[in-house]
Amino acid sequence: MIFRGKQLPDGSLIMAIVNRTPDSFFDRGRTFGLQAALDRVDEVVAQGAHIVDIGGVKAAPGEPVPVEEEARRVVEVVEAARTRHPDVVLSVDTFEPAVADAACRAGADLVNDAWGAPHPETAQVAASYGAGLVCTHAGGAAPRTRPHRVQYDDVVAHVVDTLTGLAEDAVSAGVLRDSVLIDPGHDFGKNSRHSLAVTARTDALVATGWPVLMALSRKDFVGEVLDLPPDDRLEGTLAATAICAWQGARVFRCHDVVATARVLALVDAVAGRRDLAVGKRALA
Amino acid sequence: MHAAVFVPTPPLLVPEVAGGSADRDDDLRTACREAVATLASADRLVVVGSAPRSRVYEGRWDPRPFGVRGPEVTALPYALGIGEWLTRGFGLPTTFYGVADEADDAALLGAGRVGLLVCGDGSARRDEKAPGYSDPRAAAFDEQAQIALASGDPDRLLALDPALGDELMATGVRPWHVLGLAAGHRRRAEVTYAHAPYGVAYLVGTWH
Repeated sequence: MIFRGKQLPDGSLIMAIVNRTPDSFFDRGRTFGLQAALDRVDEVVAQGAHIVDIGGVKAAPGEPVPVEEEARRVVEVVEAARTRHPDVVLSVDTFEPAVADAACRAGADLVNDAWGAPHPETAQVAASYGAGLVCTHAGGAAPRTRPHRVQYDDVVAHVVDTLTGLAEDAVSAGVLRDSVLIDPGHDFGKNSRHSLAVTARTDALVATGWPVLMALSRKDFVGEVLDLPPDDRLEGTLAATAICAWQGARVFRCHDVVATARVLALVDAVAGRRDLAVGKRALA
Repeated sequence: MHAAVFVPTPPLLVPEVAGGSADRDDDLRTACREAVATLASADRLVVVGSAPRSRVYEGRWDPRPFGVRGPEVTALPYALGIGEWLTRGFGLPTTFYGVADEADDAALLGAGRVGLLVCGDGSARRDEKAPGYSDPRAAAFDEQAQIALASGDPDRLLALDPALGDELMATGVRPWHVLGLAAGHRRRAEVTYAHAPYGVAYLVGTWH
């Protein structure tokens, strides 16, 4: 995996969420201010995030955010973060090609097109900068809409078919093959059972050969299993994280970097992808 | 038409879909079951609901497209499937009629003591947490639908605007128009449930 020349290490990787939004479902505006967003970038990098994903519009429906305003929000963070952290992969979470363009111009390495490529030219934008692209399954949902009585004959097959198509389209548009990620889009165009089915069959996504990104953090499918609000979904998120990592998913988009890193370290150690940090027990 | 019942079509009406929260909607489920029970004296049933095409369908309710495990069955479009699920066990000959566009043929009901089960919902844009987010027109639209359904007046029902219904994600308008066409004259009507607990308007009631 390489994004604008930044090679990421083997093993499970962390994409930390930084929302430059006043209204995202979990952080609820905590990092809306520029300084707060930059402090958060510093914090997640110090905690070991490999990728920082910067977004300027919440996923849920709500007040429309003009493209210019979205671009302003993310570009300010990308520019400053680029200077402070030249080696960290910076990602922009957007479905707007113009925002992707502005963010890449400011130094973003990866475009997280989290709504299933509503604007196919986003891939060309990423390609024109040598940036990477996250291809996401949203079940055909329009950006910022809620799923309503969505149905699939076979959700896993639908996700696999859609994502392999989008990934090949990205390569055709000029994105480097090693710079494409696929994301099954938990909760996006899916009910909770659909998201659980995709979680269970992470192996089918891994078998496509494209590196798999999982965006699980504190989502409703976790909340509906447990009947718990976002603040109380960390353990459920981590359980899903372990299940997906064990099956070979590579990147985990999360709010909780330290906890996620510890879970992934355990999974990678069991899977033989990581050595012990300390090897003394019964060995002295 | 001997009698008619109208019910909403949320998949969570079926307990196996709703999972551990099924009992939170027992009031809606009970209202549907009590209304549908009034059709048991019919000679046969016609179930009407939104579907990809306007035609007769065969099959059963199938939870599998919603991610619930279930046996292999020929699936009805889900709105008709909800109707099948609610009338399962009646032992009456049943025709499932999907409506995809404006209804213009009440003759599909045929003669005799026909019980009509009309499956559809009001708007799905009642508030910010609604499936379709909030639309300022939604509450008034649902109120008009409720008034029309409570009036027993076919003309009032037929006056509901299907284009506005589409904009508000209301699946009930065209099926309700079938009721308006089939009723023939003013009927004794009752709305027994009218709430929008999840931002979708659910309306239950009877026409006799």
